[in-house]
Amino acid sequence: MNHLSARMFAPPQEQPMTRRAMAKQRTRRHLLDAAKRLFNERGYEAATVRDIAAAAGLSTGAVFASFSDKADLFGEVILDDCEALADHLKNAIEDDEGTEAALLRLFSMAYAFHRDHLPLVQAAIGHSWVAEPHAARRVRGAAKRVQALVDEVLRRGVERGELSRDLDIRLTNEMIWDSFVANYRHAIFESWDASALEARLSAQIKILLAGWRAAA
Amino acid sequence: MGARQERKEATRARVLAAARGLFDEVGYEAATIRMVAQRAGVSVGSVFTTFIGKAHLLSQVMADRVEALQAELEQVVPHLRGPAVDRLRSIMAVHYGFETRHLRLFVAYIAASYDWPSDGGVSPLGRNARFRGMLAEALVQGVERGEVRPDIDTELFVDTLLAAYVWNYRRASQDNADAPALIAEMDRQIGLLFEGVAVRL
Repeated sequence: MNHLSARMFAPPQEQPMTRRAMAKQRTRRHLLDAAKRLFNERGYEAATVRDIAAAAGLSTGAVFASFSDKADLFGEVILDDCEALADHLKNAIEDDEGTEAALLRLFSMAYAFHRDHLPLVQAAIGHSWVAEPHAARRVRGAAKRVQALVDEVLRRGVERGELSRDLDIRLTNEMIWDSFVANYRHAIFESWDASALEARLSAQIKILLAGWRAAA
Repeated sequence: MGARQERKEATRARVLAAARGLFDEVGYEAATIRMVAQRAGVSVGSVFTTFIGKAHLLSQVMADRVEALQAELEQVVPHLRGPAVDRLRSIMAVHYGFETRHLRLFVAYIAASYDWPSDGGVSPLGRNARFRGMLAEALVQGVERGEVRPDIDTELFVDTLLAAYVWNYRRASQDNADAPALIAEMDRQIGLLFEGVAVRL
């Protein structure tokens, strides 16, 4: 129970948190940050709970007061990173932008967001295929927040008359997402930089939308 | 082949068969080298003299499966008729039909492919040149027959198609989608993507 997201139990912001709750949340934050850094630098196996606790300035016991085990801590680090990405992107849509430009800006921001912790992203993608269903659902929830933005951009494109009414928005959204994630392989294994990733995704978005331009 | 070499080959084959069975039954994550050795009736040490580690075992198991899949494709692809878009769909349907027979193994392979030792000893996910070539070939034939625009970037098209192809396995592993459901989704995805390169009449 105590390893569930603090967010779920956070009281509404008008009510001041008790000092104890605040201290608990701070501890959790320190641990997540330290764990993120060590998982990223050393990999899952090599980053020990003891080292993570020490990096956060805490005892090993304090880790287990907040997280049930290392796998749980890793899952929470990934979820936290996905939520942070969704927060980072939530105001990124602008009203008067074309569909392609808006999508590209959104995903360029996402690639830039992940640039300084690619090993963690790599581990997170691999892990997501074998994560237990409950954890997978929560990460999927965070991803859906980003996909909701893509949905919004595509819907506006249709409303503006830029894209055809026949465009399957759900399918297009998912295919852009699939390409976005799959492109990390180029970054991880072929050292593509952010601008190469952007160029590839831009071309993929173009080809996905090319058949669905509204007739002029 | 000398007697020693023969023994070595036999051990290798036994170890691979044991690994394939275990990855399928208990999953790649849960399977250990010790379990593989036990099932194959060899020592842990002799597993390690043939394979550097578990990732290389999985890699070899998958490489052997690639040959079987290739054989299935070769039975189907030369007989495909009709428009390029449908040929692409048929090719991908063979992939799904093949991989969903051992879904757990393939999903484990996708997961593991994100932390493989990148020493060139393994063929990374989505980079199999023969499979990519078959898709590119269908597109080139489409160009020749006036169905596909000649300025198509086949590499880009194939990359985009394969991104969707791989991610569809999510539906199988997390939502229990079966092969027909995956094939139906891929049919729609190929249709959507193909619109971007189709010659308009």
